[in-house]
Amino acid sequence: MTFAALLTKELRLRLRRERTIWVLITYLLVMTLLGFLFISRTSAYNSNSVSTLGLGLYTLLMFVQLFLIMFITPAFTATSINGEKERQTFDLLLCSRLSAFELVAGKLVAGLANALLLIAASIPLFSLVFFFGGVGPAQVFQATLVFVVTAIVVGTFGLFCSTLLKRPPVSIAIAYMFCVIWVITPWLLSFLLQLSAPFNGSVQGSYIFLGNPILAMISTFTFGVGPPIGTVSLFGTSLAPWITYAIINLLLTIVLLLLSTWLVKPYPISRLSRLMEKRPRKGKVAATV
Amino acid sequence: MIKIQHVSKSYRRVDALKDLSLEIPQGSIYGLIGPNGAGKTTLIRILAALLIPNAGLVWFDGEEVSKTPALIQRKVGYMPDFFGVYPDLTSVEYLEFYAGIHGIPRKKQASTVNDLLELVDLSSKRDALVETLSRGMKQRLCLARALVHDPEVLLLDEPASGLDPRARVELRELLRTLQGMGKTIIISSHILLELAEMCTDIAIIQGGQLVLAGDVEQVTRRLDGGLHIEIRVLECVPETTEALKEIEGISNVTSENGDVIQAEFIGDERALHRVLATLITKGIPVVSFAPRSSGGRLEEVFMSITEGGSPS
Repeated sequence: MTFAALLTKELRLRLRRERTIWVLITYLLVMTLLGFLFISRTSAYNSNSVSTLGLGLYTLLMFVQLFLIMFITPAFTATSINGEKERQTFDLLLCSRLSAFELVAGKLVAGLANALLLIAASIPLFSLVFFFGGVGPAQVFQATLVFVVTAIVVGTFGLFCSTLLKRPPVSIAIAYMFCVIWVITPWLLSFLLQLSAPFNGSVQGSYIFLGNPILAMISTFTFGVGPPIGTVSLFGTSLAPWITYAIINLLLTIVLLLLSTWLVKPYPISRLSRLMEKRPRKGKVAATV
Repeated sequence: MIKIQHVSKSYRRVDALKDLSLEIPQGSIYGLIGPNGAGKTTLIRILAALLIPNAGLVWFDGEEVSKTPALIQRKVGYMPDFFGVYPDLTSVEYLEFYAGIHGIPRKKQASTVNDLLELVDLSSKRDALVETLSRGMKQRLCLARALVHDPEVLLLDEPASGLDPRARVELRELLRTLQGMGKTIIISSHILLELAEMCTDIAIIQGGQLVLAGDVEQVTRRLDGGLHIEIRVLECVPETTEALKEIEGISNVTSENGDVIQAEFIGDERALHRVLATLITKGIPVVSFAPRSSGGRLEEVFMSITEGGSPS
C-alpha cells in the first residue's frame, strides 16, 4: 500500500515534467539519426550484403543504446533521496509508515521505469534491424538483458549516491564518475597487463572484465560462427560473459540496495552500534527501521 | 500527556536545548515561544521522533519516544516550518499520496481527503496544482496533510509565519476546531501575541532553556509585570511590611499612606492566596486585600526576558 502510493506519486511527478518527454525525444532522435547515417554511408560506399548491413546497424544501435543508458539512468536516480531533502519533504516521508526498504525501492523502481521507458521506446528502431536480417531473436534478448542489468546497476549506484551524499549535483557527478571508471578500468588494466606480459587475445580466465558492460555486450554478438569471446568460469561453471555480467551486477545491486536501505534513515551509525549491542544478548539480528 | 524530562541536544558545538523539562497536558493548544535559534524547532523535531536528544527522555502517554519512534510517528502529525510540497501534484493527489504512505486503505482515501479539504476550506481547490495555491492555502493544505492519518498530537512549527491577518484568524479558528476534536496541538512561534490569542498553555524558551511555562493566563500575568496589591490593615503596619517581605513573589513593599500597604507580586492565583493566608495566620488584621494588574507591556517584557534573564 505505502510502496504503491510512493511509486504512483513518483511516476506522476516524473511524467508531468517536460524534461521527461524531451529526454525521450532526444534519445530516439539520436538513435534514429545515427542509424540513418550508418545506413546511408554503408549503402553508398560498400557493396556488402543486406544481412551484413543489418548486423552493422544492430551493433551500432546496441552500443549507442548502452552508452545512452549508462549516461541517462544516473540522472533519474542520483537525486531521488537528497532531492527530497533539498525540497524539504524528506522528514514527512520519515514520519510516515514507509519502511526504509519501501522508500529506497520505490525511488529505484520509479527511476528505472524511466530508463526502461527509453529501452521500450527504442524497440521499433531495433525492429528495423530484423528487416535487414543477420540478427537472431536470442541475440536481441541477450542484449536487452545487458541493457536492463546495466540500467539497474547504474540506477542503484545513483540511488546509493543520493542516499550517501547531501548535495544532488555532487551525487550526480559521483554516479557519472562511477560509470566512467566502471567502463574504462578493465580496458586500462588489460592494456597495462599487455605491456607487462603478452596478452593472448582471449578473455577466458581474465576476471578483470567480469562486470564490464562493453564486454558483456560484445559477448551477445554472433558473427556467423558462434560467440567471438570465450566463456568465463564462475563458481566452477563456464558461463558466457553476458551471464556472468548479469549475475555479478545483480549481486552488486543487492549490496547497494541494502546499503542504501540502511543509510536512508537517520542515525545509521548509532543504529548499527545498537544492533551490535543487541546481537550477542538476543542471539539474533533485531528488526530494524 | 507528553512529558519532556531534562532534554539536551547539541549540534557539534552549539547547544540547541539545555536540560529542558516540560509537561504538555492532553487536549491543550501548547505554544512554544522564543526568538529564532531558541531551540523550538529542535524540540518539535525531537517530539516527532526525527531527532534523538543527547540526554533526557520524552514520553508520550507512557511510551518513550526514542524507543518506539514508529509508534510515536503514527500518533503525531508533523507540520514543519516550510511547505514541503510537490508543486506538480494537485491538492487531492498530494493528500492521497500522504494518505497512502500513512497506510490508509485506498477505498477510504477519497472520503478522508474530501473531509480534510472541507475542514481546511480548500474543497474549491481540490484539482488545482499545489504550486498555484497562495501561501495561506498551502499552509492549510500542509495542515490537512498533517491530519491525514488522524493523529492524536499535532506538531506545528511556525504555522502562522508569513500569513496575512485574515489567514491567521482562519488558522486560529481551525486550531480551535481541532482542539474541540480532542487533539493536543503543539505550536511554535517567535511572536508572543500570535500564540497568546490561540493557545491554552505557553512555554517560553530562550537559548535552549525553559524561561517560563504555564497556562496563558499565568504566563501573561507574569509577563505583564505581575500584580499590584493594595492591602489595608488595622494598625500593625510594620509587622505586615515585614511579613510581606518574607513571602516569595512579593517585592517593592511600601506603606506611604497610613494603614495602606502596597506591594508588587509575581505568581499564580494559588501563590496569591498564600499571601493572604500567611497574613491571616500571623494574626494581622487585614481589612482589604486588592490585587490588580500592574499594567506592564506584554511584548516589551517578553523582549527583555528573551534577550536574557528571567522574569522573576
